[in-house]
Formats: sequence, C-alpha cells, structure tokens
Amino acid sequence: MKRRGTGVGCMFYGVGNTGLPNPAAAFVQVLPDTSVHVTVGAADIGQGSSTMAASVAAETLGLDYENIQVSWADTMFAPEGGATSASRQTFITGNAVKNACETAMGELKRTASEELNVPEEDLIFRNREIYSCKDENVRMTYPELMGAMGKKGRLAVGAGYYNPKTTYLDPKDMSGVPYELYSYATTILEVEVDTDTGEVTLLSVVSAHDVGTPVGIKMVEGQIEGGTAMGTGFVVTEKIDVDPKTLAIKNPMLSKYIIATSMDVPKIYPIVVSSEGTAGPFGAKGVGEPALIPSIPATIAAINDAIGSSFTSTPIFPADIVKAWQEVQAAAKD
Amino acid sequence: MNKIIVHCTVNHKPVAVETAPNKRLLDMLREDLNLTSVKEGCGEGECGACTVIFNGEPVTSCCVLAGQAEGAEIITLEGISPDGKPDAVQQAFMESGAVQCGFCTPGMILTAEALLAKNPDPSEEEVKLALSGNLCRCTGYAKIVEAVLLAAARRREEAQA
Amino acid sequence: MKEYAVLAKDHIKVDVLEKVMGTAKFAADYRMPNMLYGGVFRSKVPHAIVKKLDMEKARALPGVACVLDHTAIPGKNRFGIIFKDEPCLVDDKVRRYGDAIAVVAAETPELVDEALDLIEVEYEELEAVSSFERAMEEDSPKVHGDTNVNVRKHLEYGNVDEAWAKCDVIVENTYSTHILSHMFIEPDAGLAYLDEQGIMNVIVSTQNAHYDRNEVAAMLSVPQNRVRVKQAVTGGGFGGKLDISVQLHCALMALYTKRPVKMVRSRSESTMVSSKRHPLTMKCKTGATKDGKLVAVDCVMTCDAGAYSSYAPAVIGRAPVHIVGPYECPNVRCDAVFVYTNNPMCGAFRGFGVPQAAVCHEGQMNALAKALHMSPLEIRMINAQKVGSVIPTGQKLTESVGFLDTLIQARDKAAEVMPEALDRLTKV
Repeated sequence: MKRRGTGVGCMFYGVGNTGLPNPAAAFVQVLPDTSVHVTVGAADIGQGSSTMAASVAAETLGLDYENIQVSWADTMFAPEGGATSASRQTFITGNAVKNACETAMGELKRTASEELNVPEEDLIFRNREIYSCKDENVRMTYPELMGAMGKKGRLAVGAGYYNPKTTYLDPKDMSGVPYELYSYATTILEVEVDTDTGEVTLLSVVSAHDVGTPVGIKMVEGQIEGGTAMGTGFVVTEKIDVDPKTLAIKNPMLSKYIIATSMDVPKIYPIVVSSEGTAGPFGAKGVGEPALIPSIPATIAAINDAIGSSFTSTPIFPADIVKAWQEVQAAAKD
Repeated sequence: MNKIIVHCTVNHKPVAVETAPNKRLLDMLREDLNLTSVKEGCGEGECGACTVIFNGEPVTSCCVLAGQAEGAEIITLEGISPDGKPDAVQQAFMESGAVQCGFCTPGMILTAEALLAKNPDPSEEEVKLALSGNLCRCTGYAKIVEAVLLAAARRREEAQA
Repeated sequence: MKEYAVLAKDHIKVDVLEKVMGTAKFAADYRMPNMLYGGVFRSKVPHAIVKKLDMEKARALPGVACVLDHTAIPGKNRFGIIFKDEPCLVDDKVRRYGDAIAVVAAETPELVDEALDLIEVEYEELEAVSSFERAMEEDSPKVHGDTNVNVRKHLEYGNVDEAWAKCDVIVENTYSTHILSHMFIEPDAGLAYLDEQGIMNVIVSTQNAHYDRNEVAAMLSVPQNRVRVKQAVTGGGFGGKLDISVQLHCALMALYTKRPVKMVRSRSESTMVSSKRHPLTMKCKTGATKDGKLVAVDCVMTCDAGAYSSYAPAVIGRAPVHIVGPYECPNVRCDAVFVYTNNPMCGAFRGFGVPQAAVCHEGQMNALAKALHMSPLEIRMINAQKVGSVIPTGQKLTESVGFLDTLIQARDKAAEVMPEALDRLTKV
C-alpha cells in the first residue's frame, strides 16, 4: 500500500565558530582602468565564496561584477581566511572584503570630493559612477576618477579583516554570545511510503531560508536544493557500516553508500527570505549548512505521518519501515 | 610490461596511443593524452565523473580497458567546443547555476550532449533519466536539469532560425 | 529588501568557465617533471602497538624513492584542528583501522602498490574500544592519555528543576543519529614540491589552506612563511576536507626525495580515513504549558566520536546551544559527553551537530503538538524566536530574526503547490 505523509522541519544556525574568535581578511586594489584585484584566504569549494567576494566588492566600490578579479586560498599571497565551514565565509570574508574596499575607497573619496567639490560623506559610488546624494547632476565616471587618482599619484588599495562579535562562553554554564548572527529555515515536504517494500519517495518540497540578503539568488537556491537532497538521503539511504571486529568502514564506495541520484529528487521550491540586519555584508548571512538541516527532521516527520510510526532514530531504511508498519497495524487491531 | 598501441579517434582526431594493456580508458585519456577533464570519482562505474562519449553513447571510462577503445570514436569535454568557446550546454550550465564544485560537471555535460544528439527535445523526466548515472553531491540536480532543458530549447531555436 | 546594484541578482560565477570547459585543475590533474607518486601503508587493526616494522624490502624495490615512518619527521608528529592528537605517522600506537604507519614514494602508482605490499608489520593487539558505553567504563582501555572522555559541556539556563511544576505537558524521548559520510565527489588529492627558494609548496584539495600551511610548517619544523599551500580546484567538501588528508605525507616525502610527490586517494581510501558525521544520542525531556508555550528542556547528549578529536570540540560546543531549536524557552539544560573510541574518526560535516540537534528538537515539538492536540505548524509559530528573544546562552537577539517569515512563506508556498499535503500538517 502506498501512503503519503507530510512533515515540517525548522532550524536556526549560528554563523561562524562557537564563542571563539574566527577572523578572515581580504586585500583589494582598484587598478587604473577600473578593474579590481580582490584576494581572499577563503577556500572556494564550489559553494561560491569567490563569487560572493566579487559581488560584495562590486557593490561596495560601485563597480560592475565583471570588473572584479578574485584570487583565493593561496597562502603565499592571500591573507588568513579561516576555514570554509560553519557557513561563515559570506558573513566573515564578505565583511572583510567590504572593509578592505572601504579602506581602498579612502583615497577614492578624497579625490572625488576634490574633483566634484562635494563633501566625502555625500558621495555615492554606484554603477561605475560617483555622484552627490544632494545633487545627482554633480557626477563623474569611474574612469575619470581613476584618471584624477593617477594625476595625483594616489593608489586605491585596502586591506581589511573581520572577526565576529562574540564572547567566549562561560565554561560553567555556556552563557555568553556564541554567534553574532543566526540563519533560519523552514522546510515542508511530502513523501510517499510503500508499506510493502518500505521504499520512501520524496514527492514535493518547499524550503524557505532567511539568508538576510541573498548575494546571488541561484547560488542560494542551489544550496537549498543540494542540501535537501542530502537531508533526505541522511534519513532514508545513507549509512556508514562499521565492521564490529576490525572497526573498519565496510562500505567506503559509492555502490554501497547510496546518495541521491537525479531520479530521487523531485521539484524543490526554494524560497529566499530576506531579513534586515547590519551584521553581515549588506545584511547577508550564511546558508551552506542551513540548506541541509531542516529537511532531515521534516523527512522523519513525514514518514511518521505517512504510516503512523514514531521513529526517533536515523537511518530509517526499508526494513525498518516494513517492521514499523506491521507494528502500527498490530497495535490498531488490539 | 609490454606496451600496446590503441588506434582510435579522440576529439575528432585519429590517434595511436602507446599504453599499457592493464590501463583503463580513463587512465589512457588522463595520463597518455593529458585529457584531465575526465575525472575519477569512484573507479567502479557508479558516479559517472569519468563519462566520455564512446561511439555516441555516454560510457564510464573507468569500466573500459584501453584496448577496448581500438577503433572507437571518443569525445571528452575538451572536444566539445573546438573553437574554445562554451557551446549551448556549457553556456546553459554556467547561466543556470548548474555548477558548484565542478567535479561531476564534465560527465554531466557529456551525458547531456549525448542525450541531446539523439533527442533534441527531451522532457524533464527524460533528462533526469539520462543523468541518473551521474552523481552530483552539491546541487540536488535541479539546476543541472534546468540547464539541459535550456540548452535543448536554445538549440532547437537555433535550428529553426 | 533594499535595491542593490550587484547583490540579489544572478551573475555567472567566477570559477565556472574553467569548470564547464574542462580546464579547471583539480589536485589530481597536476603533473610536474620528475614527479613521484605517493601511497600510505595503513593499519589493518583498530588498536595495537607496532612491535616491528620492516620497510627494507620495500626500500630495495627498484623505482622506489623513499619509504618513511615516523622517525623521518623533522618536527611535530601531532596535528588536529583543535586538539593536536592525530599523528602524521603512527609512533606510539595504532588507534583505528587505517591509521598511517608508513609512506612510500615511487616512480609509478603501480610501484607504490608493490612497495606497500612489501612492508611488513607486527602488532601487539590491544582491546579495541568500540562503543560509548565501553569507553566510559573504568576498566576500559584508554585510546589517548588516561581518560576516554574527549570533551564535556554543560549548558544551564533558567531553572530547569523548578520549571517542571509549571508544565501542563511533558514529553520524553530518546533520539539517535548515525554515522554518515560526506561523499564529496572528488576523492582527496594533493601534490608537494620544494621550489627553487626552498619553500615547501603544497597544492591540495582542501577547505582551509591556511590551517594546512600551519600544520605542514609544524611537521617540517620550519617557519610558516616557508610553506606555501595553494588550494587546487576542490571537488566538494561538506566539512570532510577540513582535516589534514595528504598534505603532510606529500610534504614529508617531497622533503626527503627533493622531488615533487603527488598523492591521489582512491574512493575507498578517501572514505575510509576522512572524517565522518558524529552519531549522537539525545535523551530529551521537554515541557510546555497547555497553550503550547515551551517551559523547559533537559537533554543529555552522548557521542562516540572515534579515534581522534578532529572537530568534536566544535560539534559539542554547537549542539547544546542549538538544542531547543529556533524557539524561545526560558529553562534549558544540556549535558554533553563525547568520547574517544577506536571507531572511525568523526569530524566536521555540514551542520556541526545542528542536524543531529534538529532531529531532537523537531521530534520534541511534534511530540508536544500531538500531546496538546495542536498542529505542528501552530506550535512552532507560538514559540518562534523573534527580535528580542533570548537564546539559552542568555544572548538577546537584536536583529535579523526571520524565522517566522520562513514559516509563513513555506506554509503559503505549500498551500499553493502541495495543498493536500499542507492540510495534513495544519489539521490536528
């Protein structure tokens, strides 16, 4: 028999290391032709920290995304970036890039102020132009500004770093400020359970994530979609088996450790939720781990809803489901 | 160990590769021909990262001995865009956000190319089925499927125009 | 949301052109003139003293450039992100199946395998500790030092003992999660060489080049600026490439041979020895008023963290802070104990204990909803953190708390795309 069930899963996630310093840094230089070098320590493992760095630099400097060249994770040239972990690079390296850009903008602002006769604090840098917030007709282009910089012998260079505002936690009771900011998420999903075979099929998923400000929409969606596939796999297909005698992993290969294929993942509706904040760069928060987390309890809940079971442990494999269904039915008869 | 010579066509060029008889096609492509877009993710035909187009079919090159490539026509990712610019599938992968870590990407793109060569107007289900032998741990496949459908649509438009 | 010039839009990512063209260089794709291949001789037992190690036959094999054990290490032979408890090469004893005992560099990968087969080892086997329970017994063998307790945490907020009296309903359950593998699609790989300035260069698949640099420098006993670590294009990590993989072994052999040394792990070797997700057991008691407001949570958390500490101190720091989930609760206690055993090493894995904690807090919310005849969505909304809420460490949240919005927007989207499914969630 095929039975359907729905589950909800929620989570919050403190971004960055827990109650510990975990700084990251960046170097920035705006070149005479308005192209930009950004160098960060953050390792990009495909999640997009370098793309994030380029985006934050362009937004801060008022240049185009295409103007930015990013180098990363080479200890000879890049400053400390800390680990690509704890969903921290958008928040921490992002702020480092913003700080480095703002330092580089010191000379840019001084020069633009002199050229335009506008106080530095009234200048807006956006879309490759610099203009006064009081009178948008008072403006110059970025190439004009860099020309003026060249004539005055000024360079637009900056180094910046960021360390989240946290405290060490009290060893007695863990009180303190473990994280400066938190990401939030809710996933609602539906499964179909075959009570004869124990097979679980994911039918549909909505997953809403408060990312503060999304750096890139598809990048956030890609995290959510990948995280959901991993989260359901966590519950229904993935498990490391350890040999009881040698304590060796018995299934260290992809034929025996089953991860989701394209056939296992249904339409996922990722929802990008924005919340106003000042901690992250332009309010951005991390999503790498939040993308995974809520789909795990949601899948467990959906299975329990489908067959009336009360699983509290993972994994939930087909044999577990068949057994639980038999128990549920036996209990119903009593 | 004695060497063998394998004659085949790789990326539209005939080659004669001197290689070891115990080598897999994967090793021959990577080591002897330096075609490093062909990735090894599992070595047992499960993950699809080593996929090449072999006589028109997507094949995991870790499960083929080099000698079996005698006379075959093989295409790797290096042979997809002879002019050095991304083709429709490659472009769609970039635009759709279908690439995260990128290790599965060569195999994914080649599987998609092989599908579209045979079926220029696949349904979403047909795309998913075609890609089911290529594992991706990052994306959850949604944007990869989107990219293949986008590339197919663009190619059809181009063919009509 | 504010209007941004660049953010909140889609741009082609900075690293994807090379990836779709096939020119992106992952660690295994590097090749250098005069390069050697490296491999590791690993333990086949979980807990043992190495009585005898015979590397002479392997060394005598033509084409073998070096066979090294721990005595070759010029600097420190202990590393780890938080506690330095893992050897580069086993010195005192083997602590898990797959511990690195010796390394080999040779002209071809086939010769590496031949040489590894020629290494002979004699063990004095020790009782293996394979469970949390055994690890905690007084007479159990100790994996490190004189206790198997790796790390312990106690979180206390409000007054849990007095709070139970204010509860109309109390639910108690035990949750457990299992060991999982990252299965990043690219197995670990890297390459090391000394450059013309004598700087040790390491190109590697990693999530933290600067940490790797510091560990390589400590192992070689050179200043950190005499080591350069460059991240190769990295095929996923999910936390599994935060620990050292091939960095130290490649660098050690490059130092001895003065030649580039490349190591590429097979899928099996990569999965066997990289870190795994911590399996957690959480015994949890949760109380609420009849209106569904959380009053108290008390959780005891235990974990068999395996042979080395890796990120265990990070996981045990994070899980208790998140044990209530995104909800307000005025009284919280959490006691957590992680132990060493001879099982596979657990470490960082996407979420650092929060996925495990979520299995517990979401299970408890559903159990409360059931006991109170409320819908799972309603009980979450009633308790949702908002600006001004205080979390169980006493921290007050001052901004950017979008939790309720995620609940509402997920519900509304579900109403549109899966209305029948949502019905089951909103009905009691």
